[in-house]
Amino acid sequence: MKKLHFLEVEGNTKGFYTFLGLFGLISVIGMLAAYYMEHNGHWVTGMSNQIIWGTPHVFAIFLIVAASGALNVASISSVFAKTAYKPLARLSGMLALALLSGGLVVLLLDLGRPDRLIVAMTKFNFVSIFTWNIFLYTGFMGIVGIYLWTMMDRPYNNLTKKAGMAAFIWRLVLTTGTGSIFGFLIAREAYDSALLAPMFIIMSFSFGLAFFLLVLMGSYKYTDRELGDYIVNRLKNLLGVFVAAVFYFVIVYHIANLYSADHRGITTFILADGGIYTFLFWVVQIVLGSLLPLGLLYGPTGNNRTMIGLASVLVIIGGMAQLYVIIIGGQAYPMHLFPGMEVSSSFYDGVVASYSPSLPEVLLGLGGFGVTLLLVTVAVAALKFLPASLADAVADPHSK
Amino acid sequence: MRLQLNIDFSFNSFFNKKSLQKLPLAVAGLALIASFNTVNASQSDLGPSITIQETSGEKCVLPSEEMRRQHPDLLKHDRIKTLREGVRAKADGGVLDGSLKQCVNCHAVKDDNNKYVRIDNDQHFCVSCHQYAAVSIDCFQCHRDIPEGSGDFHALSNHKEVNYNAVVPGTYSLTVQDMANIAPEVHSDDN
Amino acid sequence: MTINIENEKQQDTTEIESSRRNFIFGSVAAAGLSVAPGVMLYQTANARSLSEKASSKVRWGMLVDTSKQVDWNKCVEACNKEHGLNNETHSRDDQKTQYIRVVDVTNKGTGYSMSLPVMCQHCEQAPCVDVCPTGASMTRPDGIVLVDRHRCIGCRYCMMACPYKARSFVHEVLSDQTENTPRGKGCVESCNMCVNRVDNGQDPACVEASDGAIVFGDLNDPNSAISTLLKEHGGKQIRADLKLNPGVHYQGI
Repeated sequence: MKKLHFLEVEGNTKGFYTFLGLFGLISVIGMLAAYYMEHNGHWVTGMSNQIIWGTPHVFAIFLIVAASGALNVASISSVFAKTAYKPLARLSGMLALALLSGGLVVLLLDLGRPDRLIVAMTKFNFVSIFTWNIFLYTGFMGIVGIYLWTMMDRPYNNLTKKAGMAAFIWRLVLTTGTGSIFGFLIAREAYDSALLAPMFIIMSFSFGLAFFLLVLMGSYKYTDRELGDYIVNRLKNLLGVFVAAVFYFVIVYHIANLYSADHRGITTFILADGGIYTFLFWVVQIVLGSLLPLGLLYGPTGNNRTMIGLASVLVIIGGMAQLYVIIIGGQAYPMHLFPGMEVSSSFYDGVVASYSPSLPEVLLGLGGFGVTLLLVTVAVAALKFLPASLADAVADPHSK
Repeated sequence: MRLQLNIDFSFNSFFNKKSLQKLPLAVAGLALIASFNTVNASQSDLGPSITIQETSGEKCVLPSEEMRRQHPDLLKHDRIKTLREGVRAKADGGVLDGSLKQCVNCHAVKDDNNKYVRIDNDQHFCVSCHQYAAVSIDCFQCHRDIPEGSGDFHALSNHKEVNYNAVVPGTYSLTVQDMANIAPEVHSDDN
Repeated sequence: MTINIENEKQQDTTEIESSRRNFIFGSVAAAGLSVAPGVMLYQTANARSLSEKASSKVRWGMLVDTSKQVDWNKCVEACNKEHGLNNETHSRDDQKTQYIRVVDVTNKGTGYSMSLPVMCQHCEQAPCVDVCPTGASMTRPDGIVLVDRHRCIGCRYCMMACPYKARSFVHEVLSDQTENTPRGKGCVESCNMCVNRVDNGQDPACVEASDGAIVFGDLNDPNSAISTLLKEHGGKQIRADLKLNPGVHYQGI
């Protein structure tokens, strides 16, 4: 195995500025969309008093969940001592921070009063899971920051394992916290399940790794650096395992809910009579987001980079659909004030709430991706995150 | 009756510790402007001047000088006491309600057409000073900016006397006309 | 006004029998009074001086008798008027604020149907208070659940948590609020049990408009009208299975 050599991406190139401009533009459009929403109020969105959290939350939660998953590669390297992943650990940590930043930006800009961020940072209700999450997110930033530092500053390399362990534990707690935002909502059938928190953890593995693979392959392709099959194939096999695990959890979650009479209503709604939600579940989440990627990753096309990239994109799209079904489908299904009775009112009791995402919401959500990718672009040019080469001769510990 | 205040007042009023912390730049700017104006106070066109509508007769919770400095703290203190703890004590020992409602009721400004000016108007009592000091306030995003009830500066002429025993379903929707009945003397810069 | 004096006397006596007699007398008088417009029924259990904090010795609650043939829309009307609601100009219908709504309930099996008003249930274990990150959603010591709009950042987590759909989000810039109910864009709001009226010794607007079908009072005081009624005839809470112990009770559901 050759010596590993990290190198910044050359910043003063046309390609770099193109990406910088592209991601910057997406970010700016997202910010403008947020300004439009805040200036007018949320009436310009599809959200309502029935669909309380909408598309921005789907994007934000996807990014936050993926953030914790993106750290996976680093954890495997530091905590589980798999040397094969060591070259990727820096990118993994940095990507985790970038994804979390992108997600939080979307979440904060969708608040009714984003100008009161200072209130959220100074007044705490420690019973609230949201409050825990504020600390989990800021703590994650700090711990992963320290972790990156121990990796990149040679005299402190001996601390990497400890920092990596701390970051690993922290990210598990963080995703549990994110899942619990929904899991603790007793009133809503869709969320009232202890399975949500572990399911969010395994979802984070899958979404985070898919995003990681795309960023890795993209950055090596556009910087003309060598990326060998050894590392890519390890990662894509791992992604396949995670996709299958999410699939397994989804099956258990729905079967468990079908067995409980309390939750049968929401489950049949999602699986059979939910219209758009049923479509998103079966077609996008299950077929496009789970089965097809599994086929692409493990089938005859398994070594084809384009197909691996396509599978990763599909996992991300399927993940967005999954969160859309959980978050928005879960709200669309009516709450039961009087179980077993038929109810109606001027406040849409007893009816499936309608929701169609508005353009500003989608643009704000995409802006979150823009911010993430913008940060990644700047980071790889500013600091030594990417190995100069990941050719098999460098990356494979068994190569001579 | 209008009170024309020269810049010396604002110099004193804004050059206190709290404002300094919050607005070092604005205060520095003010100091610069003030130094011009104190040279020749009669040349009022030399810098921005401030016009504050004087409220006739009654006294406020504290003397004016102290109110100018302390009203943010007083309001914050009272909003916690009132909303979170349910204390609705009179502010100065029995006469004045220590609420923003009371502030508005006493200090509401009428324009030349004898109509109350709204928060988007430079003459509004709060706006006149806050605009000058470049301190934005968001109180009136939620709070009512002019008194309820017609032409009366006191809070007793409104909802408290509304009786709901005989309310008729379907008759109430808050239209522009309805609001005109609640507060007939409304004037806005908007239109 | 005679009823005030009568009920205050009732507070002083500890003997249940006599207070019950007083109550029956009082309720007859109340029925007579509520017909006459312009007469204010003062809530007498509140002897708190307004310079004192709201006390946890008191727990305000409501008892809604759904068997009474009342047009519950009167309560909605009174609520909208009291709080200046329904003044949105841009919001869609599903974005407009409703503090109180009339819910029609039908049992599909038997065909039995009924209507009842539903507002914030002022839970003792309020989920909205638990989940609020900033403590803006709060329970006053006397059991009234409120939103402190000075702290609300508009995250809407409380709306997700509320089992009763009692909360609304203000989707647009508002003006012309009533002076007792400040409300504005970007904050969550809900029924506040007309806390300003209650503090001044009045009944909430919906109670006043209900022709006696909603009784308001102190659940902690065994001699209050509401406690006596609950003791005599019982009452149910909506979604009592969630064990949130709402302060709003119903009869006939």
